Amino acid sequence: MKVDIGSRTDMGRVRGNNEDNFKVVPELNLFILSDGMGGEAHGEVASQLAVDGISTHCREAAKDPKTPIFGPQREDLTETTNRLVSAIHVANEMILKTAERDPAHRGMGATVVATRVKDGRICVAHVGDSRLYLLRLGEMQQVTNDHSLVAEQVRRGIISNEMAGDSKMQSVLLRALGVEAEVEVDADEQLLMDGDTLLLCSDGLTRMVSDEEIAAILASSDTSQKAADRLVQLACDNGGADNVTVVAARFKTSSDGWLARAWRWLNEPLDS
Amino acid sequence: MPKLTLKFEDRVIKEVAVGTQAVIIGRSPDTDIQIDNLAVSTNHAKVFVEEGRLVVEDMNSLNGTFVNNQRVQRTILKTGDSILIGKHHLVVDDSWDAGGAPVPEVKKVIAPKVQETMVLDSKKRMEMLQQAAAQAGVKIPGQPAAPAAASSGAPAATGPAAATVPAAPPARARVASLIVMGGSTDQREYLLSGKLTIIGKSEMATVKITGFNWFKPKMAAQINKRDDGYYVARADKTPTVNGLPIQAATKLNDGDMIEVAGLKLSFQFKD
Repeated sequence: MKVDIGSRTDMGRVRGNNEDNFKVVPELNLFILSDGMGGEAHGEVASQLAVDGISTHCREAAKDPKTPIFGPQREDLTETTNRLVSAIHVANEMILKTAERDPAHRGMGATVVATRVKDGRICVAHVGDSRLYLLRLGEMQQVTNDHSLVAEQVRRGIISNEMAGDSKMQSVLLRALGVEAEVEVDADEQLLMDGDTLLLCSDGLTRMVSDEEIAAILASSDTSQKAADRLVQLACDNGGADNVTVVAARFKTSSDGWLARAWRWLNEPLDS
Repeated sequence: MPKLTLKFEDRVIKEVAVGTQAVIIGRSPDTDIQIDNLAVSTNHAKVFVEEGRLVVEDMNSLNGTFVNNQRVQRTILKTGDSILIGKHHLVVDDSWDAGGAPVPEVKKVIAPKVQETMVLDSKKRMEMLQQAAAQAGVKIPGQPAAPAAASSGAPAATGPAAATVPAAPPARARVASLIVMGGSTDQREYLLSGKLTIIGKSEMATVKITGFNWFKPKMAAQINKRDDGYYVARADKTPTVNGLPIQAATKLNDGDMIEVAGLKLSFQFKD
């Protein structure tokens, strides 16, 4: 399997600092993105703790499967996904503990989305409104559901999608790391298919650039790095109201030798 | 002379008298009341006296001007009205009299930025959702009203307490299983307990195709368990459901027959 990875983070055009953080662990196909909050309380510290805590926990677990699991384990998830959930619980604890020790950090928090591709599965866990998108055969789907007030209102049919875009409440989150000792983590699994592109992004992208534009840029860029650069540039050109961070990864699962092509042809004589 | 009091949350930031000139509210430094917040348009709204009455008019702002939680284009104001612009309120006092004093010069006000993200703790969540439901019920004519407003009879503005939020979808759907009716697999029945079930000959597949599987795909199809049920989707092959090839991820019903890569799988809910 070949993975083409690109990433970029930018302060944007309005904020005076960048509270986003991300981390790629290529040997685990692990991608983490976190959007810190809390301004004077140093949101960037919270998001750094989140990406570091999650990557460390996953690395340790990869080396030693006996690494303890934190938080509840779910039977409907694979070990890999349960490990991501556990890692997010660890990150939450780290942020809370750090804030407890240092009053200057009190009130900091972070969103997080973490995804790992293993055994043909896209495993994802998240808290907050940082998103994972999956682009497959030109069509893009949002894999994660935002834990924001407006997203919840849309899900419950209280407001429409259009109204959500105009809502004054866009910055109100229902869940984040660093708020309470218990955090509910959402997790999901998808099948990885040849040619899939994953995009992790902070809300600084999705508030400035429409889903259609994101899909078009992902589909039309030669490399993931070019896609990442173009996405961040467009978010800034459109106003750059918030920090903007993207991590894109394109997966190629089949080799393109003549034998492989012939094999695929034999396998699928009637399709396409 | 009427007076506007600019407030953020409960804090009074500025008081401005409305004289003969219209008072412009917006994000631009050229406005009379500047609110430095991205939710506020460059020139957002103006307040002026017309035929002895105080009027607010929205200046085609992006996010709208609200008077007592109603979105308005232009409306007459009275004492006690609250104009919401972005996250700032302007409270109207039409009876205020400066005692013939000269119109106080309107000073530029730079309100604090309020675009910071905030998180609700678990207690506040339900409160906010209920409030939002109640407001949505009165604020959006033509839109399907929130069930709260529709069922309570009285206008929902009478109090969020009357509102009920529609129940969230059940956290866990019923568990189903696949029963193998045709083809060669490593089990006869598969309980669909996982979020993702892979059908194919791959090592990673849940429903594993066995026997003479040389020409079978590694990953033929997938079944995703979501909050509202199970969905079958293609992988390397397009499955059929009850004989029809699926176009996109398709929700499964009790008794559906899935056919893919030579397998016949009956989808059944467990009770």
